[in-house]
Amino acid sequence: MKSKGFRFYFRIYCKILAQDLKSKMSYRADFIISTIGMIFTNIAGFVSFWILFRNFPSINGWTYYEMLFLYGFSLISLTPVQCFFDNNWSLRIYVYSGDFIKYCFRPINLFFYYQSEVFDIKGLGQLAFGIGTLIYAWVKIGLAFTPLMILKMIVFLLTASLIMISMQNAAAATCFWIQNSFYVLDLVFRFKDYAKYPITIFNRLFRFVFTFVMPIAFIAYYPSLVILRPDEIPILSWISPLVGCLFFFLSYKFWMYGAMKYSGTGS
Amino acid sequence: MNLKKYLTLTRAGIIESLQFRLGTLVMIIGNVLYLTVIYFLWDSIYKSSGTDIVNGMTFTDTLIYLVLATALFNFMEMYTVWEIGRNIQSGKIVLDLLKPMEYRSYLFWSYSGSFVTQFFFTFLPTFIIVGLVTHGAIPMGINLLFFVISVIMAIIINYSIDFLVGTICLYTESIWGINIMKQVIVLLLSGATVPIAFFPEPFKTIVNYLPFQSIYNAPLTILLNGNPEMQDVLTILGTQLIWCVVMTVLSKLFWKASLRQITVNGG
Repeated sequence: MKSKGFRFYFRIYCKILAQDLKSKMSYRADFIISTIGMIFTNIAGFVSFWILFRNFPSINGWTYYEMLFLYGFSLISLTPVQCFFDNNWSLRIYVYSGDFIKYCFRPINLFFYYQSEVFDIKGLGQLAFGIGTLIYAWVKIGLAFTPLMILKMIVFLLTASLIMISMQNAAAATCFWIQNSFYVLDLVFRFKDYAKYPITIFNRLFRFVFTFVMPIAFIAYYPSLVILRPDEIPILSWISPLVGCLFFFLSYKFWMYGAMKYSGTGS
Repeated sequence: MNLKKYLTLTRAGIIESLQFRLGTLVMIIGNVLYLTVIYFLWDSIYKSSGTDIVNGMTFTDTLIYLVLATALFNFMEMYTVWEIGRNIQSGKIVLDLLKPMEYRSYLFWSYSGSFVTQFFFTFLPTFIIVGLVTHGAIPMGINLLFFVISVIMAIIINYSIDFLVGTICLYTESIWGINIMKQVIVLLLSGATVPIAFFPEPFKTIVNYLPFQSIYNAPLTILLNGNPEMQDVLTILGTQLIWCVVMTVLSKLFWKASLRQITVNGG
C-alpha cells in the first residue's frame, strides 16, 4: 500500500467526523443524556476528591492544590483517548460478529480508518473540566505563566495522553485472540482513576509496577513534575515523551498484528 | 407461590456465570490492583494526618470498610440497567414480558445465580483475606448476623433502584448516560468511594436521609461495630426496611405505569 500524506488523512478524518456527528445528532436525547452523564461523572469525581482532601492539609508532602493539579492534568491527558479512540470499545463486537472485515477492504490505513469512525463528543466536557481544575490549581500554587511553561505543558500533556491511548489499544486488541476483551478493557479503563495519585505513596514494588509494567504513573505524575517541581525532576519525567511515543508505536503494531491475523467469521 | 420455578432460574444463573472463568480472573486482578491503590492511599493519608483516628475511624476500620464496600459492589452489581436497556433496544423484552412470571422477579431471579457464585468466589475470599491481613480486626459476634440481614435488604434496595432507573430507559432509549449517572450517584452517596463518616456536615445529614447509604454504609457500619447498642442496630435496620418497602413499591408502580409506554422495534 502506497503511503499517503498527512493532508490526505486529515481531509478524510474531517469527512468521517462530519458523518459521525450527523448520525449522533439523530439520537438527540441519547446525546444530551450521555453528555449530562459525563458531567456527572466528573463532578462526582471532584466531590469525592474534595471530601477526601479537605480532611487532610497534605498527603505525603503533597499539598491539596498540587494534588488538584495532578487531578486536572490526568483529566486532560485522558481526553484524547475518550474522544478519538472510543471505537476500541466496539472492536470486540465487530470482531465477534464478523463486521470487522469491512474495514480490511479500504485503501487506507486500517487502524486509522477504524479509529476515525467514532468521535466521542462527551470527552469535551471532561476536557473543559480538566482545564478549569488545572488553571485553578495553577493560580493557587502561584506557578509562573510564561510561554515556555505553556509549551512544556502542551508537549507533556500530549505525550502523557499517548500512554493511556496505548494501553487501551493493546487492551482492545486482545479480542483478536480471546474474543471477549471487555474485562481487559474495563480493567485498563479503571487505571485512569489511579493516575491522579502521586506515585510516591506506593511502596517500592508498586512504584516499579506502575512505572514499568502498567505505566499509569506516566499519565499524570511524571510529566507534571516538570511543571510542579522544576528543582527535582527525575530522569523519568524527561523521557516520558519518548515513553509515550514508544508505547503508542508498540500498541499500534500489536493492534495491527492482531488485525492482520484476523480471518473473519466466514459470513 | 411456587418457589421451584425461581430456583430453576437461580441454578441456570450459577451454571451460566461459571462459564466465564477468564472474566472472573481478570476481575480478580483488577480488584487486587484497586485494593492495593486504596491501601497505599489511605496508609499515606493516615501517616500524614498525624493521628490514629480520623472522624472516629482508625486506618484498619477505613480499610475494612472500603475493601468490603468493593466486595459488596462486585457481589451486588447486576447490570440491571444495561440488561433492561439492551432488551428494550433489541426487542427481546417482548419475549420476557410473555413469560409466566412478573418481569421484575424474572430479572431478579435470573441474576440470583450469580449472587451465589459471586458470594463464594469474590466476597468470601475477600472477607477472609481482610480478616487475616488486619489480624482479625473484623469483630466476630452477633454483628455478623445483623450484617447478613442488612446485606439482604441492601440487595433489595439496590435492585429496586436499578430497576427504577432501568425503567427510565423505556422513555429515553439511552443506556450509557442513564447508567453512568446512576452509578456515580450510588457509589458516591452510599459511601463506597469515601466512607460517609468523612463527609462534611450539612452534606452528611442530607446523605443520611437518602436511600443510597442503606446500600453500603448501613451493612458496613453494623459489621464494624463489635458490641453494638441494640437501639443503634435497630435504627439502621429499620431505616433499611423502610427504604426496602418504599423503593420496591415505587419501582413496581413506575414499571406498571411505564409498560403502557413501551414501543418495540421489531424483535
